[in-house]
Amino acid sequence: MNDVYRKLVDLYAGQELTEELEAELEAVALTDPELKTDMLTMRATVEALRSEPAPEFTEESYQRVLMRLYAKGVEAQRSPDPTHLQLHLPIQG
Amino acid sequence: MPNDALRDSQAEKRWLDALAKGDPNALGGIYEMYGDRIFRYTYRMLGNRSDAEDATSETFLRVLRRSSELRADGAFRTWLFRIARNLCIDKLRQHKLLELPADAQYSGSEERTTLRVTVQQALQDLPIEYRDPLVLCDLEDMPAREAAEVLKISVPALKSRLYRGRRALKDKLGAAMEIRR
Repeated sequence: MNDVYRKLVDLYAGQELTEELEAELEAVALTDPELKTDMLTMRATVEALRSEPAPEFTEESYQRVLMRLYAKGVEAQRSPDPTHLQLHLPIQG
Repeated sequence: MPNDALRDSQAEKRWLDALAKGDPNALGGIYEMYGDRIFRYTYRMLGNRSDAEDATSETFLRVLRRSSELRADGAFRTWLFRIARNLCIDKLRQHKLLELPADAQYSGSEERTTLRVTVQQALQDLPIEYRDPLVLCDLEDMPAREAAEVLKISVPALKSRLYRGRRALKDKLGAAMEIRR
């Protein structure tokens, strides 16, 4: 496979090609098994990577980080919610 | 600018101004805004929760220590990620953290679980110059220009590392990718 196709496959894998170029590349791949394999495996690799679940920033982790900051003498208080998120209850009585 | 981005930008400016004035709530506010993203990034770079928590706390500690350098002009996030990245590199050099995270939790079918563990392991095995762009661009969804600024390289250099990194990852995943086809 030449360098131009290799670069096109890199762009194809990350879905960075225009629809027209993607269709053209797929058409060429129909008659080029090596190109087709590279396109499929590269796109599958990027999809597998992007579908990795995000590590969860749990409340326990949140608190442990705060504790580490406190331990180093930092006053890092949990900030109050911004006013647009605060509930305003009507005054009764 | 979308409303959420505008609101975040205004909140960031407010907290940075407050930090510059010595407001004790300011670091908490910045941590509320960015703690989750910095934790996710450091976890993906280091591969385990404990080191990620440590790197996250140290990142915000450095924000406080270097608050005189802060500028609320949109460059703060880049600067924050750069601090986190430097801390991750230091930790990787110290520990040579290459093993699978002991506390990793994955869900889904056995095949998907295997693939996820494999992707995670393959990512951890990549050299740092490849892992960095993959984590920032493909996992954290950071625009190429900003990721290049974090890494202090040009956008073409970032793209080159990103594409090479994806190919290196493909080579490491080899068999698993064959299964999916």
